[in-house]
Amino acid sequence: MSFKYPVVMPKMSMTMETGELLLFHVKVGDQVKSGDVLFEVMTDKIDMEVEAPADGVIETLVGNPGDVIEIGKPVLIMLTETEVMAFDFGGDAAAPVAAAPVAEPVAAPAPVAPIVPAPVAPTPPPVAPVITPPPVAPVAAPIIVNTSVKAVPKARVEAANRGIDLRTVHPTGPDRTITFSDVNSAQLDPAVLKRQAANKALIAKGIEMTRGIAQASFNRRANANFDHAQLISAWAKVLRGRPDLAAHQHIGVSLIIESKYGSALPVFRDPDLINIDQLRALVTTTSDAAKNGKVPIAMLSGGTTTIFDLTSYSMSSATPLLFPNQVTSLTIGYDSESTKNISLTIDLNFCDFYDGALLLDALIASL
Amino acid sequence: MSDRMLTMAEAVREAMSIAFDERPEVFLLGEDVGIYGGAFGVSGDMYHRYGSERVLDTPIAELGIVGAAVGAALSGMRPIVEIQFSDFTAQAMDQIANQAAKIHFMLGGALHVPMVLRTPQGSGTGAAAQHSQNLEPWFASVPGLKVVVPSNPADAKGLLLASIDDPNPVIFLEHKLLYKIPGRDPVPEGAERIPLGVAKVVREGKDLTIVATGIMVNKSYEVCEKLAAEGISITLIDPRTISPLDMQPVYESVEKTGRLMVVQEGPAHAGFINEVIAQMAGSSSFGSLIAPIKRLAGMNIPIPYAPQLEKAAVPQIEDIEAAAREIVKNWR
Amino acid sequence: MSANPLLMGHPLASTENARHALLYMCRIRKFEEAVEDLFGRGMMHGTMHLSIGQEASPTGMCMALTIQDQITSTHRGHGHCIAKGADLTRMIAELLGKEIGYCGGRGGSMHIADVETGNLGANGVVGGGIPIAAGAALASKMMKKGTVAVSFFGDGAMNEGAFHEAANLAAIWKLPMILFCENNKYGMSSSTEKAFAIDNLADRGKGYGIPGVNVNGNDVVEVYEAAQIAVDRARKGEGPTLIVAETYRWKGHSRSDKNLYRTKEEIEEWRLLDPIPKFIARAIKQKKLTQEQCDGIQQEATDAIVAAVNEAVKAKAADPAGLLDAVFKKVSA
Repeated sequence: MSFKYPVVMPKMSMTMETGELLLFHVKVGDQVKSGDVLFEVMTDKIDMEVEAPADGVIETLVGNPGDVIEIGKPVLIMLTETEVMAFDFGGDAAAPVAAAPVAEPVAAPAPVAPIVPAPVAPTPPPVAPVITPPPVAPVAAPIIVNTSVKAVPKARVEAANRGIDLRTVHPTGPDRTITFSDVNSAQLDPAVLKRQAANKALIAKGIEMTRGIAQASFNRRANANFDHAQLISAWAKVLRGRPDLAAHQHIGVSLIIESKYGSALPVFRDPDLINIDQLRALVTTTSDAAKNGKVPIAMLSGGTTTIFDLTSYSMSSATPLLFPNQVTSLTIGYDSESTKNISLTIDLNFCDFYDGALLLDALIASL
Repeated sequence: MSDRMLTMAEAVREAMSIAFDERPEVFLLGEDVGIYGGAFGVSGDMYHRYGSERVLDTPIAELGIVGAAVGAALSGMRPIVEIQFSDFTAQAMDQIANQAAKIHFMLGGALHVPMVLRTPQGSGTGAAAQHSQNLEPWFASVPGLKVVVPSNPADAKGLLLASIDDPNPVIFLEHKLLYKIPGRDPVPEGAERIPLGVAKVVREGKDLTIVATGIMVNKSYEVCEKLAAEGISITLIDPRTISPLDMQPVYESVEKTGRLMVVQEGPAHAGFINEVIAQMAGSSSFGSLIAPIKRLAGMNIPIPYAPQLEKAAVPQIEDIEAAAREIVKNWR
Repeated sequence: MSANPLLMGHPLASTENARHALLYMCRIRKFEEAVEDLFGRGMMHGTMHLSIGQEASPTGMCMALTIQDQITSTHRGHGHCIAKGADLTRMIAELLGKEIGYCGGRGGSMHIADVETGNLGANGVVGGGIPIAAGAALASKMMKKGTVAVSFFGDGAMNEGAFHEAANLAAIWKLPMILFCENNKYGMSSSTEKAFAIDNLADRGKGYGIPGVNVNGNDVVEVYEAAQIAVDRARKGEGPTLIVAETYRWKGHSRSDKNLYRTKEEIEEWRLLDPIPKFIARAIKQKKLTQEQCDGIQQEATDAIVAAVNEAVKAKAADPAGLLDAVFKKVSA
């Protein structure tokens, strides 16, 4: 009884994954004794001679000098009378060759095709700790943290909560650092106050302000299967295809959110360039904040288009208002359980009926 | 309430004696702990009370002594090792950091090392660089060691009893300057344990939180008393065990005071107290800070010899006082 | 004799004893061969230190011990562990990083301990276990347990301060301890000729006032006989003994060893001094075992290792979720 024994590329260091076969010291048919050098291999660290594990005869040279061979893969096959330990690693494919006794006389060495099933593929070291990627941090609404001004942590928290731009706060602490009491006694930035007031006024006076503009509205029914983030993203994408309509370098989508403090109009800048999941998180946090009357200052300006969502009021449609310096606006209304009404208003000074129809079609198609 | 005002040396001896009486497997070994009574007189008369079988004088061989304690602890005993100066633990570091600390984990929980290593540390005695270090961060950075730094006799007694009970290796760092002075509070009779890993709020105030270890708790306390008369009220927290570290009272206090100062004797660079700052900086209480965190620590130098140099190398009461005053005044 | 399977006595005292000696030497040999094989296949993490060629030393020493006697071991510790009676499956499982491994995959090759057989653990630090064994012997003496602690270490460890400090403590306190040096001629690549200014390492015993004896570490009978004398002396309270067993590791220090510091001829010479055939010949000559029995015992050892590997391979991998569990032993309420 003789056994086939694959002599494999050995792992020779903690980090080794492959080895280069340098040369064989034996040829097919050679008789070898345990301890005789069979071949030499090279790793990043060392050259090493690999010895015969037992007495026997060389049956096949599997590798060729110059080959880079994974650890655990056979380099040559010997036939040996010495019984070798046969491990069962489970599964046929993994059955080690050493287990297969060959009837004598040994058949002529089979050529290229592997005579033996590959020995066990190297398994990754089982003790390596599993490193899970860190969870994606939820996207918080951008709050103004002006790193060019120095402020203690609590001053920053307070300023963000109250919508105070730290650049406007006079620092009294050491090294011109803004202290907590500096923020506490600070007045709101007059510019911000003015902007907030103007926003409220705009909403109240929207109709009057846009009445004089030549405008047209279009209505379409759409599948209701989208959320605000998708809508905002899709609408921005459609608009980006019409740079001729843009009076600005960017696209800023205003979403009107009702709160107990009145309407808030946070602006999502270039939302089509943001990953949809991040955008969704941003829309959620901003909407929640807006419902509490807290829209980050950075999001209060820069709108180039506006979306009104009336579905929560079960209204089906309304003629959307155009805000000053905006060419388009959308209204989403309730249509049925599964459909929504989308209305588009355009400023006819910038585009015509045909443009408007195309824009709305493109939006609905992309939803 | 007892009015026994013991020194820390007496309190430690009392705790060891209680443990000796409670458990036959407790014994003490170390250089000169026997008939000499310990280099700082901590074991005192224990040799005469318990005999040479349980109070073992050893040769000067720190690695061998700690190794023997580890082996005895693995085999059913509960050794207390005294290393004459904490500086000499460097000689025994393989047994402390590679053996005692890791055996339980490395062997998958099969064995454990219920051992206490007591050692005096700290400056102020003029013993210079190789007999005066504060090595808290050496031990606190080794997973598997518990590290206790008592600041007063009453705590030392309760903490040492808990340390002897603990099934893990405990490094018990005693400040030399505290050995001979009584604490502010009497040492209770009996065998009450103080659990490891529970910080103590020494006093409460609303303007500043001070976290200090070992002798710095005492120095900070004096500052608290003095500044209270000026209307500055300070919370003083003594972690007592620096590993594991109990941060909860620190968070709670900083949320009230908005100001944090940390004080340690050892060098500032990579010192233990930096861990308190790091945990604070990463916590949700960070947003409560109305002042930058103030760190007072030793200079990044070996402890010098001459008294005026030695004094300059580590925080003194005046330094703590000035820093506390400044942080409260400047940051509002 | 107690029911303790390790309290065997002289390897040639009976067929049963001879069988034990041969079986354990073969188990060690086959275990190391299996480890080399599995490592070569990339199934084992880290590194490994094989004791092929040295099997007679731990086997002879441990045949003089009871299961309650304690040992500390070295980075080249598989043999000590097996000779003291450890479970082969749990050993292999540890090397494969499995939950059922002796250390739950946290220790690996260099840190296997087995409380049930008095094995206080292998050690990754040269000389690390010697003071620990002194401490175990101190505990035995204080608790009047009557047990002996054996520290296995290599020639390299004898130049560590830990050896000196522990040997001295054991000597002055007359601890029931055996300092068992397996002198395999090389501390990694440093030969004893380079690392010692004395020819006979056992001479060091004199410096501590304890007996120092040399034995042929490849002769399980000679090792046992010296061990028995040392154990008797220790149990009688007469103190420790230094035993220096002259032996040789056939394989490199670890896997990444190119054997640059020794010759092929030297390795070949020592291969001829293989402790296993040497013992077989002697056992047959003294009519303790037949050739057939010897063949059967070797096969039994191989089968045991194969079965251990097969079982261990299938075991559940150690789970990182439990990593914080054993940093500290829980304080019992």
